[in-house]
This record gives sequence, C-alpha cells and structure tokens, in this order.
Amino acid sequence: MMNRSDHDLSCEEALGILEPYLDGELPAAEATRLRGHLERCAACAAELELAGKIQRELRSLPQLDCPPEVLERVRGSGRGEVVPFPSRRFRTGIRIAAAAAALALAVGGGALFLHIQQASDRPSPEEVAQATRQARLALAYVGKVTRRAGLDVRDDVLVKRLVAPATESVSRSLDGRRSEKEF
Amino acid sequence: MRKPTILTAVLLFLVVSSGLAQGLEDQPGYLPLEKLDLFPRDKLSVEVNLEGAILRMVAEATRGDDPEFASVMAGLKAIYVRVFPLSGADAGAVKTKIDRAVRMLEDRGWHSTVKVREGGEETYIYLKEADGKIAGLTLLSLEPGDEAVAINIVGRIDPAQLGRLGRHFDIPQLEKVPAHGKKPE
Repeated sequence: MMNRSDHDLSCEEALGILEPYLDGELPAAEATRLRGHLERCAACAAELELAGKIQRELRSLPQLDCPPEVLERVRGSGRGEVVPFPSRRFRTGIRIAAAAAALALAVGGGALFLHIQQASDRPSPEEVAQATRQARLALAYVGKVTRRAGLDVRDDVLVKRLVAPATESVSRSLDGRRSEKEF
Repeated sequence: MRKPTILTAVLLFLVVSSGLAQGLEDQPGYLPLEKLDLFPRDKLSVEVNLEGAILRMVAEATRGDDPEFASVMAGLKAIYVRVFPLSGADAGAVKTKIDRAVRMLEDRGWHSTVKVREGGEETYIYLKEADGKIAGLTLLSLEPGDEAVAINIVGRIDPAQLGRLGRHFDIPQLEKVPAHGKKPE
C-alpha cells in the first residue's frame, strides 16, 4: 500500500490546497507533498505565484471597518458552505471565453468606433455650404496668384506651362511684361 | 495567458482602427504646411482646411449648378490654404521661410513647374507626381506689402483647370468665409 506521503498530488488536488498553503494552514506533510508537486508542475507553480500575488495585493489594501448591519446580514444569509476552487478545465473554459470576448470586443469596438466617428463627422448642409465657399476661395487664390505671376495670359499657356512640363523645372516668368530669370 | 490575450486584443483594435482610418499623410501630394512653419497661425487672414468627406459632399452639392467645379472637387482629397498679410510684417523673414520650404519641396521630389521672381514678388508652383499622374500641387507666393500665400491641394489635379476655375471666383465675394475657417467637424 502506498504511503500517503508518497502519493503524487494531481493538479486538481494541488490547486485545491493552494489557498490553505498560502495561508499557512496546511499540515506539514501536505505542504511537503504540495511543494514536491509544484517543483514538477510549472502550471501549478504559476497558479501559486499568481494567487500569492493577489493575496499580497489584497493585503496591501487599506483595512476598512465593515458596517455592523452589513455584517449581520452576511451572517444571517450565510449557509456555511465551502466553495471549492473551480477545476482547471472550468477555468480554461473561462479563459477561452474571455479571450474570445476580448477579441470580439476589439474587432467590434474598432468597427463601431470608426462607424461612430464617421457618423459624427458627417457635415451638416451649413458646413457643406461653408466648405464650398472655402474651396472656391482656395481656387480664387490659385487664380489670383497665377494671374499675378503672369500665368493667365491664355488657357493654352497654362496648359503648356503647368500640365505639359509637370516633370520639368521651368524657371522663368511667363509674362512678357516681366523679365525672364533663372535661379 | 491573460495578459497576452488583452495585449493581442488591444493591438488588434489599433490595427483595425488605423488600417481603416488611413491618414492623408500617406498621400503623395500631401504637404504638412504646419511643419513648414511658414506663418504664425494666429496672424493668418485666411486658413482653409478641407479634407476627405467634406470635399465629396461639396462635389455632390455643386454638381447641379457648377459641374466643372464639382468635377474638380470630386477628384480632390484635401485643400489647405494659408494667407498671411504682410503689411507691417517682416517680409524678409517670410521670404527666408519660403526659400527653405522650396528647398524642402525639391528634396521631397516635388517638381518645380513655375518659378517667378520679379520686383520682390515671388511665386512658386510645384507638382507632385504619382503613378504618372499629378497627385498634388503646392503654391507658394510672396508679394511684399500685400500678402504671402501657401496652398497645398491633394488629389487628382488638373492645374490648368484649377487656374481657369480660380479666375472665375472673386476673392472679395468669398471673403464672407470666416478668416480662420476651421476644418468642418
């Protein structure tokens, strides 16, 4: 018959005694067996580390006094049941579901964000009318500057000077009234 | 496992968002006028920033009564205008900045189409090509005693058509536009 101390803990058993182990409530023999398991099982060791971290962070929170009436209600509704740690399979399922939910949220959220942004960017008729005036003003400045630079002699000059030599550098005034210069 | 999952979700969100909302900065004809730091923004007499959807809506709104203007607008992705009054301003300092901007344009592959210098006035028109088509126009102009103008037009451009259309519009008539026309949002 196998000595109880020689019996290897399963992961489920190990996880079930992590909390009392952290609280220092586990008998020495059980603690030794758990440590043996943790040395061989990285996943359970990681769970222990996580649980320890959570416990430390919880303990670092400021202690607040619970109002007596709340305590009384808790005591009154308590049934004395011990809720065991959920199984690894159950927690894995929760993690997969959480991951799927997070990914769905990311994709859906991104699409929703862009949709809302585009909808909120939709200009009103007044804004379109103002934009039309601004666009015409922009073109008016193009017209003014090109006219001032002597580029409005004829449309065919514009075509010749602005379209045909798009890849060339033309460094001279196009207005006969002005001197031609290279620079 | 939890942290990588959250990280992956956040990264996916950013990729989805940024991928669908690609910026104008990627357009070959785009020129960041603000980075040129040509004029102090609070002294501009005209500032126009029109981008994306609003230009398409302008095209739709004007298709009936001004089809040529509408067709120009339909091909554009952005229009930026900065007009800086030079009365009382240091035109020499502005000229230095425009010269620097010209060098930057040439360094970035913009093709000089027109350079005019006469009696202190300067006009530069640069075009940017992409895939054999004009994808951007930048106009820089300095007229001492009057104003300095910087214009960047991004999109499918026919410069001759722009100039021809522009001469039909009267600036005083259009001055009803707020001096600092912000990008409609």
